[in-house]
Amino acid sequence: MKIPRTRYEVNLFRPKEGYMVDELAAIVAVLFGWGTLTFGFQFLLRFLEETPSGESFLTRLSFFNLPFHFWFTGQMLPLWFIILCLAFNLYIDRLTMRHSRNRDRSYD
Amino acid sequence: MTSASEQLLPLAIVGTILAAFVFVGLRHKTLAASEYDIRGRYTGRLGGGAAIASNWMSAASFLGMAGLIYLYGYFALAYVIGWTGGYVLLLVLMAEQIRRFGKFTAPEFVGDRYASPAARLIAAGVSIGITVIYCIAQFKGIGIVFGWLFGVEYRTGVLIGVAILVSFIVLCGMLGVTRSQQFQYLVIITAFILPLMYLAHRFGYFWVLPQFGYGAAMDELATRFKIDMAAPFAGGSLFQWTSLCFTLMVGTAGLPHVLSRFYVVPNVRDARWSVVWGLFFIALVYWSAPAYAVFARLMEARAGAIPDPATARQLADGIVLTAARQGGVPPWLLGVLAAGAVSAAFFTTAGLLMTGAASFSHDIYASFINRHATDRRKMSVAKSATLVLAGIVLLLALNPPGLIAEIAATAFALAGNTIFPVFLLGIWWGRTNGHGAIAGMLTGIAVTFAAPLLGSTFPLLSRLFPVTSSAFFGAPLVILVIITVSLLTPPPDERMRRFLADEVHGHLD
Repeated sequence: MKIPRTRYEVNLFRPKEGYMVDELAAIVAVLFGWGTLTFGFQFLLRFLEETPSGESFLTRLSFFNLPFHFWFTGQMLPLWFIILCLAFNLYIDRLTMRHSRNRDRSYD
Repeated sequence: MTSASEQLLPLAIVGTILAAFVFVGLRHKTLAASEYDIRGRYTGRLGGGAAIASNWMSAASFLGMAGLIYLYGYFALAYVIGWTGGYVLLLVLMAEQIRRFGKFTAPEFVGDRYASPAARLIAAGVSIGITVIYCIAQFKGIGIVFGWLFGVEYRTGVLIGVAILVSFIVLCGMLGVTRSQQFQYLVIITAFILPLMYLAHRFGYFWVLPQFGYGAAMDELATRFKIDMAAPFAGGSLFQWTSLCFTLMVGTAGLPHVLSRFYVVPNVRDARWSVVWGLFFIALVYWSAPAYAVFARLMEARAGAIPDPATARQLADGIVLTAARQGGVPPWLLGVLAAGAVSAAFFTTAGLLMTGAASFSHDIYASFINRHATDRRKMSVAKSATLVLAGIVLLLALNPPGLIAEIAATAFALAGNTIFPVFLLGIWWGRTNGHGAIAGMLTGIAVTFAAPLLGSTFPLLSRLFPVTSSAFFGAPLVILVIITVSLLTPPPDERMRRFLADEVHGHLD
């Protein structure tokens, strides 16, 4: 029998030891990748702008037939989201497997 | 204007495809009976993904997005990013936890999590509000497509289209048609991409993947006609882009009909994986949408008939159809395109109206008005509510307040300001209580409608909470309100906090 301990209160900023800590690390990593590339890139465009409409070397660069920034936002970012979701799922799958093995192998 | 005979074939194709939905649905029904007919059957991760995508794809994606890119160029990519990036939030913050919580309609979750009938009532009201706003956008799309199919003006088009829509819903209900979302996605994606390939081929661009082929058209527009659709800040400032994109993202993760998708998924892992496939299927359409806009602009420029901004705004929502028509897409293919738009709008509307009607019959009528209502009575209330909602939306759609995607964005703002924060904190912070949720949702409603109602008197409100982008400051503000009010009032009951810790977050302890 486990000794009853203080009950855990769910709090995003104070994850429970074990699975939740690892899960939260994955969430933070994905959200970091999600935020920096999405919004960071727009800030970069703004930072580099040479004209009021935002032209810079990034907009003059051509990539896959498109201006680089247009390709990056319109095509790369949706792909990036898919990659992030894929990575998150693979990680969570492994994590779940590891923790359920530790517990009762119910996952196998 | 095209001649009547030219539209006869497209009309026949739209009719055939709608009939095909009934036929496929009836076949499915005999294969496997499903209780949740409008949410569809479960068919594995790939099928689940297609279901998420078809559930998602509406007139806003099919018609509205290209229209906005046609008008605003790069700025409108905020819609592409907002409507895909939102799924990342949904996956990492909510999908698995909602599935484990076990309540799937927004009012049910709110009512159960916060043990508060008042919070449930507000959530039901918000769900209905989202339904109405979102459906106005769909009805506008329906009006444009049917207006063209029948060669009549927009308002008559709306009336005809909605009459057909309601008959279709009633017929499907009477026959007990199961919604085949995989077939539906197939129709939508084919209808969107095929005409685009035709256009790219006709213009001599790389047609196998028109998603890349339109780059050359953009280049021609910029160099030959000095029309730069890619200028980053020509359509709106960095703040406008960011706030719009963020609003659409949190709205995506807060839309009731998106959240309740996890209902039919049998386990948590499949819930997660179907999101990845769903996102991929959605991105297939969004990678292609700019091509329609660019081709439309190029045809105008080549013909030397560039419309002034006001006219362009009038044209924008029909630009997918216009581009295909002017580009010489044959009538049968135009019919397929129109059928895709009609399917996207019809099924989204059907799903939303039923979600809204269920909120009324289940969460308002049966919980507050007539507590002893039988299931039969609730069902008939839901059916009447569907028709009443359709009627209200129809009246509002006769004079649509904006572009399809803009109207839809307002529904996203409402979802992002209300449902998203109460789900997020409800799942991730055990201390959140009913008082907090109520105060938060009321603040969210106020924030969403602050600009359209009071913006002219207080210009600052319009700047802080622009109507399509109000969740950028709104959602954080609402979260703050919920936290503050929750801390000032007693914690939620022990049972719920234990449930959150042990079941929602403790499945592997």
